[in-house]
Amino acid sequence: MAPVLAFAESRGTALRKAALEAVAAARSIAGADPVHALLVGPPGIAAVAPELGRAGASTVFVCEHAGFTQSNPEAASALAADRARSGGYRAVVFVSTAQGRDLAPRVAARLGAPLATDVTSLVVTGDEIIATHPVYSGKAIATLVVTGAPAVLAVRPSSFAPEQTTHTATVETIAPIGDPSASRVVVTELRTGGGARLDVAEAPIVVSGGRGLKDAANFAIVEDLAAAFGNAAVGASRAVVDAGWRDHGEQVGQTGKTVSPSLYIAVGISGMIQHLAGMRTARTIVAINRDKEAPIFKVADYGIVGDLFEIVPALAAAVREARRTG
Amino acid sequence: MKIAVCIKRVPDTETRIAIAANRTAIVETGVKFILNPYDEFAVEAALQLKQAHGGDVMVVSLGPDTIQETLRVALAMGADRAVQLKTDGAPFDTLSVASALAAELTTYAPDLVLLGKMAIDDYNHAMGPALAELLGMPCVSAISKLTVADGRLTAEREVEGGVEVVTAPLPAVLTADKGLNKPRLPTLPGIMAAKKKPMEVRPAALGVARVVVRSLEPPPERPAGRIIGEGAAAVPELIRLLQTEAKVL
Amino acid sequence: MTPAMLVFVVLLVLAAGFFSYNSQRLVRYLRIGRPDDRTTQIPVRLRNLVTIGIGQSKILRDPLAGVMHALVFWGFLVLTAGTVEILIQGVAPGFTYDGILGPLYPAYVVSQEAFALFVLAAVSWLVYRRLVIRPKRLRGDKLEQWDALLILGMIAVLMVTLFVTNASAAIADPASVAPARVLSRGLSHLAAGLSPETAAVVQSVSWWIHVVLVLVFLNYLPYSKHLHVISSLPNVFLSNTSGPGTIGAMRPMDLEAEGVEVFGASDVEHLSWKSLLDGYSCTECGRCTAACPANLTGKLLSPRKIVINVRERLLERAPVLVGTSFDGVVEPAGDLVHAEATQEPEARLLDGFITEEELWACTSCRACVTECPVSIDQLDVINELRRNLVLMESRFPAEVQPAFQSLERNGTPWAFNAADRGEWAAGMGIPTVAELAAAGRQPTVLFWVGCMGSFDLRARKITVAFAQIMQAAGIEFAILGQEEQCNGDPARRMGNEYLYQMLAKATIAQLDGYGVRTVVTICPHCFHQMGNEYPQLGGHYEVIHHSVYIERLLAEGRIPLAESGDGPRSIAYHDSCYLGRYNDVYDAPRETLRRVLPIVQLAEPARNRSRGLCCGAGGGRMWMEETVGTRINVERTGELLATGADAIAAACPFCMTMLSDGVKAHESSVPVLDIAEVVAGRLAPRR
Repeated sequence: MAPVLAFAESRGTALRKAALEAVAAARSIAGADPVHALLVGPPGIAAVAPELGRAGASTVFVCEHAGFTQSNPEAASALAADRARSGGYRAVVFVSTAQGRDLAPRVAARLGAPLATDVTSLVVTGDEIIATHPVYSGKAIATLVVTGAPAVLAVRPSSFAPEQTTHTATVETIAPIGDPSASRVVVTELRTGGGARLDVAEAPIVVSGGRGLKDAANFAIVEDLAAAFGNAAVGASRAVVDAGWRDHGEQVGQTGKTVSPSLYIAVGISGMIQHLAGMRTARTIVAINRDKEAPIFKVADYGIVGDLFEIVPALAAAVREARRTG
Repeated sequence: MKIAVCIKRVPDTETRIAIAANRTAIVETGVKFILNPYDEFAVEAALQLKQAHGGDVMVVSLGPDTIQETLRVALAMGADRAVQLKTDGAPFDTLSVASALAAELTTYAPDLVLLGKMAIDDYNHAMGPALAELLGMPCVSAISKLTVADGRLTAEREVEGGVEVVTAPLPAVLTADKGLNKPRLPTLPGIMAAKKKPMEVRPAALGVARVVVRSLEPPPERPAGRIIGEGAAAVPELIRLLQTEAKVL
Repeated sequence: MTPAMLVFVVLLVLAAGFFSYNSQRLVRYLRIGRPDDRTTQIPVRLRNLVTIGIGQSKILRDPLAGVMHALVFWGFLVLTAGTVEILIQGVAPGFTYDGILGPLYPAYVVSQEAFALFVLAAVSWLVYRRLVIRPKRLRGDKLEQWDALLILGMIAVLMVTLFVTNASAAIADPASVAPARVLSRGLSHLAAGLSPETAAVVQSVSWWIHVVLVLVFLNYLPYSKHLHVISSLPNVFLSNTSGPGTIGAMRPMDLEAEGVEVFGASDVEHLSWKSLLDGYSCTECGRCTAACPANLTGKLLSPRKIVINVRERLLERAPVLVGTSFDGVVEPAGDLVHAEATQEPEARLLDGFITEEELWACTSCRACVTECPVSIDQLDVINELRRNLVLMESRFPAEVQPAFQSLERNGTPWAFNAADRGEWAAGMGIPTVAELAAAGRQPTVLFWVGCMGSFDLRARKITVAFAQIMQAAGIEFAILGQEEQCNGDPARRMGNEYLYQMLAKATIAQLDGYGVRTVVTICPHCFHQMGNEYPQLGGHYEVIHHSVYIERLLAEGRIPLAESGDGPRSIAYHDSCYLGRYNDVYDAPRETLRRVLPIVQLAEPARNRSRGLCCGAGGGRMWMEETVGTRINVERTGELLATGADAIAAACPFCMTMLSDGVKAHESSVPVLDIAEVVAGRLAPRR
């Protein structure tokens, strides 16, 4: 009976989605064995423990301390390593978020345990855990063999879908290791929001407009489509930046920004070499253009030929609908 | 100030990756190797700190003799000395490599250890914090802003939906993220001078490797691009494809 | 010796001495520049001296002002004999060449009078031009205007005093004035009422004014832009910018040279002494700036300013390096670079006088060099300063960085996959050089495709068209395919000599390894680079541009053309800078068009051939943003569209991109075609 420990990421007194994904990932390798969750946070965090139970954890170890009001990597990793050592776990599971990427290696080093990060799938076969891990910017998938117990694993966000069960977990309170307020690494502040517009180079989805839009004012339909996705940034081809319709910071292409989003939608962009150089590595490319000979269609995964003034609003409406129901 | 920068020689991201016959490595012929872009930020940060506080910048890397070319790039940027920890090939196991680096760095006794948050080939994103634990130093990872004053560092790091402001005492380990600085380009005089700077070679004291690459596969095939329809009528089909095939919606 | 003679001799000695001092000083200043061997190609240099210098061929490119200046210049040459005659009169009154020339003397006298009249007329018109017509390129600053007017005034007075002296002599002592002096004699009739005694006084005064003015003029030259009077002929002789064998190759650079601390130039002592002489020779005429595509679309760059800045800085810096004492020892060039001198970075030529913005605006079109009447090489200075920015300080526009990086890592200036290079050739059955080598053979002709032709989807059509033409003509050719890498030209143009040499040496090694002798290419930049600049690094190949190659094949009747077919009725051909001004290829593309479209009318744009306006992509500008003023390509395309032609033809993939873009900006649908595409469209159908 070798349970699996899942680190439940939280912020303040709220649980983060990563916590549930960690439990799900832990469940996938635990099989019939139980999954324990480790939850650390400021006083009051214990209130979210039942969520972890419903996600599939049988026991939730909770450590409440004011020192965890902000993220506290040294105290968290010390505690996780200690728990892992005392619990005889098969594996300790994190999610590769900003926090998880910081904690998992520390815990592995403390335990002298093998470490696999950014994992997209897991299979346990006896002594070994087989993990898949994208490498070379996703151009290849590595199959890793992780030998030894406990193994420290960090799974890629959105790779393991949280489950919904009706379990209730046992909640156990544990004490921190040392004094969390005396950690060397201190997070003094967490600045959120700020209303910064999504940067075209960082956003997971980019909707770009080109000369086919004919007028600066027409860019509104591109902005609307981006808004429909919720997490999309607006990009622009060089032609429209030169024409003064859009800011240079939005320019995608050889002399603008190089972007690599999951989804790139090119609206009214012909696809000259300089523009293509800036977005070819996008995972999925959609092109909308009235000229079916436009070079952009050669690189697009999906293309729609026609009047973008009809297509784009229809697409925006459909995207909103899909997100609402999906 | 003594600053150590750990760097890695990686294939250029634009390269087409072909998997070698042995299925555990990529074909290296025709591939251009570069200094890991995240490590460039680390080297630049080290050089800026040296300019401000004076001191010595050492770059260290693990690998076969081919990595000397990459160490020279860092020297051309302005680092003072380089150390090659010699191995055959590039071991994958983070902790195994971290042990070798920790052994070297313990001897050097730096005030600051800098490295990129991750390498663009292995994508492990783990070396910094692991190395820090082995050295017993505090660690702040994936920083995009840094100031050092009076034996303390203050850094900013991006987290989901926000920015953390973090402080820690020196000596410490820091890993660099994009946006930390704009790495300087080696000038011709820098390239010339780099040829004369000291380069030491030592065997690497690797730890046991318990994570190995069993095989490399290409990612699942992308269907060829196609025009799926005309006009607004094609929109529903596009949505369907984005949801089911591309899985981006 | 009379008191007058004494005064004359003293004045002469003082003037000559002062002039000699200044000349030596100015020559000494030149020595701070870098060594530059200009003793090669003497026949070409002599030819230039005769045609450009004495023949004023470049000055005459501006028809009216050119003729006026030519008259003044030739007048100056002819009248020098007369000036010497007059100066000898200072110690031997009444001296003339009569005794020496004998029967030729009347002819000599007529020449003197005729040219004096021409000069006076020309100078009057030139003053009128400066003050009334006020062409744009002559609206210089106040100082320059005063300088110009002063000289024109002095020349006018010299001519007038010439006539007055002889006219009054004709009254005072008619026998002393040759009968052939018709004009002076005629003038004297106007003042017939003057008594001989008064006339003698007028003659004397006029003579003295003339002599003193000559000596003043001579000594004013070193302080004026009219220094060119002395330096222009040597400058033309020593220039490398015109004539066969001078093909616009960038200055070679030895990066391995021991003890070189400065690469490129940040100040005048890093420039070649010839560039410094160029500074002396600039007449500030502004023809270069008037022809500059950057300048005329509103950028800061002015080639004239660059040259004047070199002179200004030289006159500032050289005295510091050389020492101002008259009896200073002249050290050999080179030592002076190590002379101790305080140099504030802000004051140096680069940044202090010439800004980055100006330097990066240059498209290296060579219009400035082509227009300069005294053969100044403005581009040389721009290139050396660029090299310094890039090699010494890694300073260049941010958008250039990805291009450098991609060249270094990927062998192409764009982030495209090197493995895609041979894609265009799919299904065409073209062997690669590697395949030939495996069969133990060497390629007869290597078709060098270039990066544009390999990756740009529009340019690929040019590549395919040309390949089709060669196949139709039965030419045995091969391509490098995936093995082809950039030949380094963009890096060199943008000042990155280090990256350039890396790429070029690799390419040369590759071509030599395969035994390549003949190369044909669709890109004028590749053509120029591999044909004209590769020899600097030991790469010697016969490189032919496709427009020339096709013309040759057509002339030999080797291209099977269809019997009939449609084509545009009129075509405006755009002269590419690297084909035209750099390599004198103007006729082959036009001839090609005429041969394949016999009834086509070639509509020449306003600025064509050696005056053709650049498309804006050269000098690495293809990879840079154009943010100031109007766009060069839009300007040029407007000019081509204004011809009303049915189509625009080009012979360069870069021009093709710029002009296509320009056509869209003008919201026109006139097609832009490459010569190869026009010919391929007229190929006889394959049997």
